[in-house]
Amino acid sequence: MSLPEIKVNHHVSQPIQLDEQAAKLKSTLLKDIQRSAYVYRVDCGGCNGCEIEIFSAITPLFDAERFGIKVVASPRHADILLFTGAVTRAMRVPALRAYESAPDPKICISYGACGCGGGIFHDLYCVWSGSESIVPIDVWIPGCPPTPAATLYGFAVALGLLDQKLKGEQHIEAIGEKAALILPEVPLATRVMIEREARRMGGYWQGRLISDEFLKRLHGASVSDVAPRLSQWLNEENDPRLREIVQRLAGLLQQGAQPGGQHG
Amino acid sequence: MLKLFKTILKTGKATVKYPFKPLEVCPGFRGKPVYDAEQCIACGACTVACPANALTMETNTTTGERVWQIFYGRCIFCARCEEVCPTRAIVLSEEFELAVTRKADLYTTATFALHNCPQCNQPFTTKKALALTLDLLAQSSGDPDTVEALREVYECCPGCRQKYNLSTNGSLRMRQIAVGGKS
Repeated sequence: MSLPEIKVNHHVSQPIQLDEQAAKLKSTLLKDIQRSAYVYRVDCGGCNGCEIEIFSAITPLFDAERFGIKVVASPRHADILLFTGAVTRAMRVPALRAYESAPDPKICISYGACGCGGGIFHDLYCVWSGSESIVPIDVWIPGCPPTPAATLYGFAVALGLLDQKLKGEQHIEAIGEKAALILPEVPLATRVMIEREARRMGGYWQGRLISDEFLKRLHGASVSDVAPRLSQWLNEENDPRLREIVQRLAGLLQQGAQPGGQHG
Repeated sequence: MLKLFKTILKTGKATVKYPFKPLEVCPGFRGKPVYDAEQCIACGACTVACPANALTMETNTTTGERVWQIFYGRCIFCARCEEVCPTRAIVLSEEFELAVTRKADLYTTATFALHNCPQCNQPFTTKKALALTLDLLAQSSGDPDTVEALREVYECCPGCRQKYNLSTNGSLRMRQIAVGGKS
């Protein structure tokens, strides 16, 4: 008795291969469906965020049903299978059973960051990878979770109604390519001081936006100019939180301008 | 019944016109991270911050290249990369139409040249990161001539600079050059 040869990567999940006829049927379905498309969502082990967004996409606000897209409760009715979540060890076989239950031809969509490449769970011990490791995927919809509008767009791409916008890009450094300085006219120590305080008060992300806007608005201002320019900005925004932060930054700037008051 | 029709008329249509008309997203919406490769210095701060490992960077010392890559499929749009980027090279946009039919379109890569230390001939950073460091030094000191005079020292790797300082009392010499450059 001879054992079958075991491949080197036998432990890596391989997607199901389509036979020729199924592939041909599928290509016509992708190009021109000419009827309603029924969607069944297959949860391969996600956090349920994607499911919530799928159901937001069929609410009256986004109303996917006006394009004939209907979420059905059984894979036997489905034309489109939405694979959400990273493929976990325990949910792999149920997901494959759902795939096998759907009639040919069927469009498979990887939905969400976890479906497209494993997402934040990609290196867990119980995660196989994105859904392309078990089934042949036709469309990838990234997002964590994709918004209802992104979901509609993804369906439209899958059914050949809209063209995809994202293109893969490769950049190779040109000779003499240089990164520009941020606000080169502002002294570095001042920028660092303002940005640090703004980020401390406004949060890391908002703080950067506030400090950039603050320094841009004060560019080239004389001492008497500062107050009216800042009050104009604060009146435009009308946000007490911003007012608090900007007042603190202005005070800091005044302190820093005095001799001996400079912070690193 | 009439009241119902009145209410319906008053409410109008709630459904958005989205695929036919562009959708307006809320302020602060975090969409596709737009990458400006010219502004990137390949410092790797974003690849460290990225919780999903959508951003990766690989250094190849034999070819002298550093390849930065984003895989949009794995991105969770948390804006941590935007927070930590020191040159504002990656910024989250309002673009949400990311669905693709070819997986290769989900990748964006950028290749950068490594800088070799003139003393030991070993790479220790990228050319762009070094250039930006010198620019920042010139900006903060307000004295580009001194920075230019000390360029040779700055272009060395930290190990070689340390050796140079220990053997030739280099920090004293640096100071001399700095004083000379100012006068």
